[in-house]
Amino acid sequence: MRSVLALVSVFGALVLLGPILAPHDPTAIDIANRLSPPSPERLLGTDALGRDILSRLLYGARWSLGLAFLVSLMGLALGTLAGLLAAQGGKLADWTVMRTTDTFLAFPDLVAAVVIVGVLGAGTGSLIFALTVTGWMRYARVARGIGLSLQTRGYVVQARLAGLSPLSVARWHYLPSLLPSLTVVWTGMFARAILGISALGFLGFGVQPPTPEWGTMLLDARIHMRSTPLQMIWPGLAVVMCVLAINLAGDALRDTLAEQDLPE
Amino acid sequence: MIQLFLSLVLRAVVVLTGTALATFSLLWHAPGDPALAIALARFNAVVSTEVVDQIRVEAGLDAGFWTAFKAWILPLLSGDFGSSSVTGRAVWPDLVTAMSYTAPLALSGLLIGVAVSVPLAILAARRPGGWLDRSAVAVASLGAAIPTYWLGLLLILLFAVQLGWLPAMGARTPVHIILPALTLGLGVAASLTRILRSGILEARGQPFLPAIRRRGVASRAIERAHVAPHAAIPVVTVFGLELAFLLEGAVIIEVIFARPGLGTFLVTAIETRDFPKVQAVVILAALLFVTVNLVIDLIYRALDPRIGSHDA
Repeated sequence: MRSVLALVSVFGALVLLGPILAPHDPTAIDIANRLSPPSPERLLGTDALGRDILSRLLYGARWSLGLAFLVSLMGLALGTLAGLLAAQGGKLADWTVMRTTDTFLAFPDLVAAVVIVGVLGAGTGSLIFALTVTGWMRYARVARGIGLSLQTRGYVVQARLAGLSPLSVARWHYLPSLLPSLTVVWTGMFARAILGISALGFLGFGVQPPTPEWGTMLLDARIHMRSTPLQMIWPGLAVVMCVLAINLAGDALRDTLAEQDLPE
Repeated sequence: MIQLFLSLVLRAVVVLTGTALATFSLLWHAPGDPALAIALARFNAVVSTEVVDQIRVEAGLDAGFWTAFKAWILPLLSGDFGSSSVTGRAVWPDLVTAMSYTAPLALSGLLIGVAVSVPLAILAARRPGGWLDRSAVAVASLGAAIPTYWLGLLLILLFAVQLGWLPAMGARTPVHIILPALTLGLGVAASLTRILRSGILEARGQPFLPAIRRRGVASRAIERAHVAPHAAIPVVTVFGLELAFLLEGAVIIEVIFARPGLGTFLVTAIETRDFPKVQAVVILAALLFVTVNLVIDLIYRALDPRIGSHDA
């Protein structure tokens, strides 16, 4: 759990401090110095419009990481509610929720996101909607599983018989069991959201230019692959490092949980 | 057994109906006037309101949601995917052409993935914690973090731009498939290696193995008869996920490498707002998934008798 918290604070610092650390305006066009190689003034060089790549990367963290964080949390909320509803709400609710989950899982989420964003029109709003709608199912399955196993446990039954309100039961008996497992799922979904946002940006369906976002930066850089190949390296490297860090934190957390033998 | 099969099929039908309904209502509620979009795409010019209205009636857009849904779903049940709202041509032949580019890509990607990951996982699991194991895990973790599109761009940069060994764009010759297949295959290999490795290690830790060994069974025979089937279970389970990865990867990879497959088909259809084509791709993909998952479910139960044949 500590590694995940550390990671979130580092990413949070990056998102908040990025604009302060950025040496230049990320959207300032400077045609005279377009496609310039790295120099002391421009640490990572400039893009086709002469914009500072390092500054664009730092500002881009707000979109590529910040948006992914938001989307994965919304999926967490939606999925957990759906899963608990399935576990508690009786047979019909369970059937409905689980078949909806199956339907959404029956399709590769990125392709579904491309279709949704493409049809609704490219933009940040439809991006958030598409990634939330395609990213809640895993939470729902885990939450339902834990919810079902808790329902019949002695202390939960006792708490309910003692007249504790459903909200208190949820807070004191469900949350502590749900939190570790859902955090593991969340790390995976956070990484997927980063990949999804940059992939949609790369396909031209995501965050729209001139807003700096890592996938959109790659789309720009691709055209000038022959003359300035380095320009294409930086945004990709940023995505890889973030996703790798999240995956490692998630793995560490899963291993700790496995040792404690908590329900997955 | 028959009861189990029927309940699995019923579940598949429910999922497919759900997908069809979700897709149709998404497209139905899409912003903008679809009739106007079709007119613009078809004539590439501003047209009079009469023409737009005529298109609206032609495409069945003036009817209500359920009428339009029925007009789409009933022919689909007999295999009629309708015709493109932009070109007016039937969707199915174009879809088959697109699939003839995507299927070889997905298949060769899968083959590369299996060819890389199986030996790597077996070598890595030979001595857990050894240098080979640790480097295999590190490479696989790195591979899982690399976005498909970036890997594709890096391979183009290295093999097509810098070295000039392989062609990158289009699908004119069989050689054109090498780079996209490699991009897809390395991604598959990254996830399969990890799953296969932990599958083998878990199978080795099973408590019945020492008992068999003490009975004098050769370790090679144990590996083949007891460890291998055990390690195969998680692999079979993730095959559905791998299929999702293959399709997802193919969509992006085809756009990068300008291959005229399903991905390019889908993205072009979305951009020209050719909704019958979009619906066709979604339904086809969902059908593929549901079928594969159904087969996986059955294989899974056959491999692991402990999974009861009654709880579907």
